[in-house]
Amino acid sequence: MRRFPVSRLHAAILLIGALGISYQITLMRVLAIAQWHHFAYMIISVAMLGFAVSGTVIALLRRRIEGRERPLLAAGALALSASLTTCFVLSQLVPFETFRLTSEPAQLRHLLILYLILAIPFFLVSWCVALGFLIEPRRIGRLYFFNMLGSGLGAAAVVALLFWVRPATVPLVLTTPAALAFSLAAGGLGRRWQLGLVIPAALLLAAGLTTRGQQIRGSEYKGLSHALRLPDARVVARSQSPLSELTAVASTAIRETPGQLSGYPMRELGELPEQVGLYFDGGSVSAVSRFDGALEPFAFLDYVTGALPYRLTDRPETLVVGAGGGIEVLSALYHGARHVTAIEVDPGVHALVREELREHSGRLYEREDVTLVLAEGRGYLEGRPDGSLDLIQFALLDSFSAASAGVHALAESYLYTTEAIQLYLRKLSPEGVLSITRWLKTPPRDAIKLFGTMVEAAELAGIAQPGLHLAFVRSWNTGTIVLSRAPLTEGQVGSVRNFASERGLDVSYVPGIRRTDTNRYTVLDEPVYYEAATALLSDQREQFYRDYAFHVRPASDDRPHFFRFFRWGSTGRFIEGTRHGWFNFVEWGYVALVATVVQAVIMGFLLVLLPLILFARGSGSGLGAAAVYFAALGLAYMFLEIAFIQRFMLFLAYPVYAVAVVLTAFLVFSGLGAYAADRRLAAAAGEGREPLRLVRVAVSLIAVFGLAYLVVIPAVFRATASWPDPGRVALSILLLSPLAFFMGIPFPAGLQLVSDRRSRLVPWAWGLNGAASVLGAALATLLAVHLGFRAVMVLAFACYAVAAVALGNIREWTEA
Amino acid sequence: MIRKREGPARVEREAAVPKLNRLFLPLLFMSVGALQPGEGLAQETPDDGFREARERLVREHIVDPPFGSEYAVRDQDVLRAMRTVPRHRFVPEELVRVAYEDQPLPIGHGQTISQPFIVASMTELLGVGAEDRVLEIGTGSGYQAAVLAEIVDRVFTIEIVEPLATSARARLAELGYENVDVRHGDGYFGWEAEAPFDGIIVTAAASHIPPPLVEQLRPGARMVIPVGPPFQVQTLMLIEKQADGRVVQRNLMPVRFVPFTRAE
Repeated sequence: MRRFPVSRLHAAILLIGALGISYQITLMRVLAIAQWHHFAYMIISVAMLGFAVSGTVIALLRRRIEGRERPLLAAGALALSASLTTCFVLSQLVPFETFRLTSEPAQLRHLLILYLILAIPFFLVSWCVALGFLIEPRRIGRLYFFNMLGSGLGAAAVVALLFWVRPATVPLVLTTPAALAFSLAAGGLGRRWQLGLVIPAALLLAAGLTTRGQQIRGSEYKGLSHALRLPDARVVARSQSPLSELTAVASTAIRETPGQLSGYPMRELGELPEQVGLYFDGGSVSAVSRFDGALEPFAFLDYVTGALPYRLTDRPETLVVGAGGGIEVLSALYHGARHVTAIEVDPGVHALVREELREHSGRLYEREDVTLVLAEGRGYLEGRPDGSLDLIQFALLDSFSAASAGVHALAESYLYTTEAIQLYLRKLSPEGVLSITRWLKTPPRDAIKLFGTMVEAAELAGIAQPGLHLAFVRSWNTGTIVLSRAPLTEGQVGSVRNFASERGLDVSYVPGIRRTDTNRYTVLDEPVYYEAATALLSDQREQFYRDYAFHVRPASDDRPHFFRFFRWGSTGRFIEGTRHGWFNFVEWGYVALVATVVQAVIMGFLLVLLPLILFARGSGSGLGAAAVYFAALGLAYMFLEIAFIQRFMLFLAYPVYAVAVVLTAFLVFSGLGAYAADRRLAAAAGEGREPLRLVRVAVSLIAVFGLAYLVVIPAVFRATASWPDPGRVALSILLLSPLAFFMGIPFPAGLQLVSDRRSRLVPWAWGLNGAASVLGAALATLLAVHLGFRAVMVLAFACYAVAAVALGNIREWTEA
Repeated sequence: MIRKREGPARVEREAAVPKLNRLFLPLLFMSVGALQPGEGLAQETPDDGFREARERLVREHIVDPPFGSEYAVRDQDVLRAMRTVPRHRFVPEELVRVAYEDQPLPIGHGQTISQPFIVASMTELLGVGAEDRVLEIGTGSGYQAAVLAEIVDRVFTIEIVEPLATSARARLAELGYENVDVRHGDGYFGWEAEAPFDGIIVTAAASHIPPPLVEQLRPGARMVIPVGPPFQVQTLMLIEKQADGRVVQRNLMPVRFVPFTRAE
């Protein structure tokens, strides 16, 4: 075999690929901390802007660039190393504020400025890679391999980095590899070039260094900002992981409870225990209560709706999902649980309660009757023996204010799907109960969707009359729904009613409920929850889903967007309400995504149309075919990547590692596919039929593997759910590798063809593909929300087929 | 923990106003002056150049709200108070020009000054009169306290963010509201020494309503809490303590705008 030719160019491209993805992941984290996590979509579209524009710019300046590709690449790398910190610092100066978007037009301007600033580094990344293609026009696949390998390694590296470096510092850390990429790219140039580039490089690096200690500009409306304004507030600990930045704040004014303390006699039973508030990404809160082993101070936990399941169980073997600071664990102990398994997905929480807050929390998680597990709830439960739990209790996973702002509209949650509820039922003992509490929103939607999900899941699990197994109580701000594996006994029904009347809570559903039983303590204009529950249990269910103003159809694993309630059919009503200010329904996550897609489509048209007009003369036909080819590939690749990442995240149970493993494997194996394609094409030496043949084979194999996975993977995952982590990670990589390998082939093969026939179009095709892939990422989510991930995969195969046809047309091009 | 949604920053304003705005503001005031000749910002009488704007606000957004007459505020005392209190004195300088729009505005410290319609509605819902004593948790800018002060005997208001408490106290004094007591502190435990109250307004919802506040409510009196994320009110919680001490809560929802099911 020939020796692997690693040149300086390849090393530079590898580094730049790594930088692009690292920066993207970092910015997503930064925006999640500064504002809300749906801005991840904004970063996607920012990257797309940068990619698209640079490809087009190079294509347009082709003649002036010719012969100067290397120095321009070096200059690009230099600018990149400077821009990483500079653009980050500048972006933090923009006073953008999500909540003010609706009332202040100036915020739109801030958003636009933010867009442009942050797009610069992505422009430069794409600039360097596109010039790389021009430097090595005969070995497109090989260069692409280095780019993909870099991206894969970069994704893994930045996730590792985020365990011990704060996101605000990452841009500075990335400056070093960027400078290295520059010196590699500038290495082969003459002295004059080197000097001309090195001096500004040194200056810019120095400037970058002065930005050390840069803070993220956090929204003043987030929970952490509020907490820090409390009179005696002090930060007692910080911890971070790639999943979240966790800040622990102590103040006598922090009193977070899992909902309304309904009728709590504070004079008799005492004030709440002292708390440390945990703020995840500056937002949602979980409290760590001072605990000294005495459970009496936690009597207040019997005054929230979430205490309901303890009236239906006796010394339950309990699982708490989303244990966080431990308030639900304390509740379980207070209510006499035999043993509590506490599931918490965030490694930062583990670190805090083991270290800084160890004494404050009374070593809660080290007790004999408490087991703390670092995992995602669903994945953990898959591996647990059936029938081994008496109570599965969901902690209120978010803060009240974040829930009502609708910021999670697009978050996939596999905890609240019909498949998940069926799984919970399997894990329960014959008399066991599942209990889920949600913050109630106005107008009502969460709890209604949850109730419907439980009803449908119970039916699917073979429960003939779900209505006999369910109970639903509410305060003014929380609702707790309990699903029992066995029909509720008369005694249990009485317990529900007694609990509610003792505490001043409303029963919205219990077997045998009458309309007059409900809506007594927190009076709604109509007993909406009661009406919804009875409709969902009747044969009017479909009708109810259709007519309700919000999307309340249950979520499924294929469409795991429990928090999306928006319905296009209700848009008019929502806009009307917003205009009048009194009622303001905006699901920010959804709005951000739709805005991203719209912006991407507009830009895509500009990007395709502009060069089409400019190049059309003298280019002959086929430009349209090329546009279709590269756009279809970009969409298809991202559709499959995102759909498969979703599947594997559920399987791997640890989202952080899952994303890192899956993303890295995907990119690296695609890179290998590109490398193999390059070898084939180099051996065929410009034979025009070869790329087409390669692409056809690759597309067929993608379809074969993809469709096979669609059918086989659920069964494989079920069979191997209890495997140890390394086993599941290895299996995931094994399953993904062939698919990713073949997915890596079509793009470089087509680009090679373009390079051979009309090399000046290469940057344009590269930019177009980049833009389409980023659009693909946003579009995949939007499509999944409405049609499901399975449909997204099918669409991906269709895109690949379209691409294969389009490539036939490109082949018709004559040699330039 | 109570999070406030109101609060100003006149004291802090100098620092907070960006340079550009400082250049721009004189121009803005000149144009306001041009439209309403003979008026200046410093005047404290109700006829301060914004009387027309206040009249319009009350007429078009409070007496006859565009989204339906069933939401109209009819209490004459409340309407008089809304016509009197100079809202432009409670907002940051750069927002003076929109002080009489019916919308919430940012006032710094993560707080907002509520939408006038909401202030009027909440005040009306409290059902208080000239003899009454009202507690407010979350002073913010002091606007709500001023509106109450126009109607009731005494207003006790607690603000947890010190700069807000200081500036609201100064502002209310400057405007001559002698029946308002502003205290800096944690509102969770209410104002025991002055309890019971004939009405309580809590300016933002937390995870639970502080039990001490319910205790300090006089039987027959009401507590009002707006619920929703910043700059939005999704519902008003009305807590009524009945004569026998039993507590009933009403969730007043804007059902008109989003019918739960279709009308047919």
